Amino acid sequence: MTAELDPDAAQAAIEYCYAQDWSDGLPLVPASQPLVDRFLATTSKSPDEVLGELEQVGRDCTVYLAAVNAAMAGCLPGYFPVVLAAFDALMRERAARGGGWQSTSGPAPMIVVNGPVRHELGFNTAGGAFGPGFRPNATVARAIGLIVRNAFGVRPHVLEQATQGLPGRWSICLAENEEESPWPPFAIDGGQPAGVSAVSATLLRTCEFVDNRHTPDPEQVLWDIADTISRTGSLIFRDTSAGVVFCPEHAQMLADAGYGKPDVQAWLMEHCGRTGADLRQAGKNGLRGIARFASPDETGDGEFTRILPSPRHVPIVVAGARNAAISMVVRVFGEWSGTAIPVQVKP
Amino acid sequence: MPNPILDPTGATATATKPRAPRAPRRKDLRGATIGLLGNTKQNAAPFLDEIGRLLISQHGASKAIARTKVNFAAPAPEELIKELQASCDVIVTGIGDCGSCSASAVADGIALEAAGLPAAAICSDAFAVTADAMAELRGAPGYPYATTPHPVAVLTADQVRERAAQVLGDVVALLTHP
Repeated sequence: MTAELDPDAAQAAIEYCYAQDWSDGLPLVPASQPLVDRFLATTSKSPDEVLGELEQVGRDCTVYLAAVNAAMAGCLPGYFPVVLAAFDALMRERAARGGGWQSTSGPAPMIVVNGPVRHELGFNTAGGAFGPGFRPNATVARAIGLIVRNAFGVRPHVLEQATQGLPGRWSICLAENEEESPWPPFAIDGGQPAGVSAVSATLLRTCEFVDNRHTPDPEQVLWDIADTISRTGSLIFRDTSAGVVFCPEHAQMLADAGYGKPDVQAWLMEHCGRTGADLRQAGKNGLRGIARFASPDETGDGEFTRILPSPRHVPIVVAGARNAAISMVVRVFGEWSGTAIPVQVKP
Repeated sequence: MPNPILDPTGATATATKPRAPRAPRRKDLRGATIGLLGNTKQNAAPFLDEIGRLLISQHGASKAIARTKVNFAAPAPEELIKELQASCDVIVTGIGDCGSCSASAVADGIALEAAGLPAAAICSDAFAVTADAMAELRGAPGYPYATTPHPVAVLTADQVRERAAQVLGDVVALLTHP
């Protein structure tokens, strides 16, 4: 059977794509019109419809270009409505429309998929949520990266100026573990009704684990998470945004103790922050001109500065396996738009 | 015949842009009103203020007007360009010291030139590639701008003044050489 396939022709086509500078470094699936037509057949949108524009570089992305890039990323045609929703959700982020893709911080999209589409398309909703290993999760995230590179023309070392970037760029697509989450799905926080397939997205500056599997006290878990959220290294502006991707075990422990998502958010808003002395010690005080943190001197040492201004600055998702109490703090670049986009498949 | 491999960039659909216009130059800066367009980046305002002060004291400019572009990543809004056009003779803009703001400082320089204002954009030298790429995107390949060594944000007030003095000659040349 495999004798009918031509590996040499496939390799030549892959090398052609590298030579055009289209690749993110890994092999691309060479896209042909019949393949892209199958992508376009999954949506009611016209191929010419503009999905998003990057004003400062004078480029936009049409449905057609999104389809070509999604095909090259290795998506199946059926994933395309999820790619479209993810791109729409991301373009609602001020950071993504502004200079985020060009930024020295090299942010990574975090895409969250909810609803029946997770199982219909075979998304991983369990262990190894941040990947790799699962085609829908890996290729939907990669498609976004290829759109930024090819349709927007934001390439590394040229218009993209990431100093170090971050692990997981173009590969974080979580399908929420709704089945083991004690709380309503994330898409509901984004304004969608229950049971709807929807995609949310934001930009991250990094992820950091909180491994806390030895306490039965939910408040100790929250203190541990607050310590990670509050470290000075990530503080730049007066406000910050840090979400938590809870593992099912931590989420269930909190829910059993009576915490809903709003309670967790309120607790973290109250307890995350640093004293003036801590900020001063790390040179994060009294920045000239921008004045994001007050007190250039010792007079503010005793003052505790809270850093999370609203529940929307603390998005909460439940993902991963029920096998250990390990959650992830996700540092949002800018601020989550608070909008989930429904996945629209052509009837 | 096999199917052709599709292009994911849309490049074939992009028409070549006309060459961006360059504002006519003054022979010198005597009596000129200098617009200082800052971008909120740390040390940008004192850096530009010092440039303005030196252009007045050493090159006979009459005064300097400081304006701030709040969103450093985006091109300057049209109203701001119009305001500068109405009130200034030449513009100094910057300091581009990040991925998006260095590119956008150069984009602003090119937009100001199109509005008839000679402009000198100042970028940190770490961002020359992205600044050049933006110039090309805006139809002004090779658009000249001034550079100052990276980093700028960590400089003390005295060091900022020193840097401004160092780049002054390039700024004057950009604003006056045809």
